[in-house]
Amino acid sequence: MYSPAKLENLAIGDEAPVLTHTLTRTDLVRYAGASGDYNPMHHDEPKALAARQPSVFGHGMLSMGIVGTALTHFVGVGALETFSVRFARQTWPDEVLSTKITVTDISGDLVTLDVRLHNADGEEKVLGQATARLAG
Amino acid sequence: MVERSALAFFASAVLDDDPVYTSADEASARGFEAIPAPPTFPFVMQNWGAFAELQAEGGQGAGLGMVLGPLMANGGLILHGEQAFVYHQPVLAGQTLTGVGVIKDAYVKESKGTTMTFVVAETTWSDASGAPVVTTTFNIIHRK
Repeated sequence: MYSPAKLENLAIGDEAPVLTHTLTRTDLVRYAGASGDYNPMHHDEPKALAARQPSVFGHGMLSMGIVGTALTHFVGVGALETFSVRFARQTWPDEVLSTKITVTDISGDLVTLDVRLHNADGEEKVLGQATARLAG
Repeated sequence: MVERSALAFFASAVLDDDPVYTSADEASARGFEAIPAPPTFPFVMQNWGAFAELQAEGGQGAGLGMVLGPLMANGGLILHGEQAFVYHQPVLAGQTLTGVGVIKDAYVKESKGTTMTFVVAETTWSDASGAPVVTTTFNIIHRK
């Protein structure tokens, strides 16, 4: 279903297929349940407003999880060596989020990738790096 | 204990429809001994399968709650600053893993009447033989 990229076909600057998704409040509730993270900022609108937020907002780890999904579809499940991100901005319901994953280095079978998640205006939500060992 | 249904539920929550997370046959065909975990699942896996009989004498169960609980009880807003994973071997359904958490750093900054508390914590998960499986590091900011 998802065929990982092959090492011999990869070059620096190559990009992974983009995963795009319009965030809904249901996504936040599903992630809360699946992760066990019930911080009310992610599902309880009155509490989010009381905390001076414009609405509920997405879990940072949901953003990283979406990037992780696009990443494993590209490098293959079980290929990751490291995966790290900085959470730059909150995500909001109705935002159209897209992944951007770019090969930045290839050393033997170890591939380094720049990983990002941004909205339709190009505002970056998550920025980071991953390394993976790819088969030829 | 890494539970299969928790892996499938988590995969759906991060928008991953790869059948490797829902079909034992697919996982086997891809070379896994059991259903594997999505890459960010280790951040939350202490919330699933932490059965009472598995806990070590004096063990604390969910370590993240020990850090976040007192901060959340204090009100304010908790933001996740950074997150990192180092993968040593696949996390698989059916494994019983032991997590050991360490606070790597903690400090407070005052700025314009706002108190910012920074905490960096690292958890290393090991399998029954003691071999490391995955290391997770998180950096959170509590703002009040």
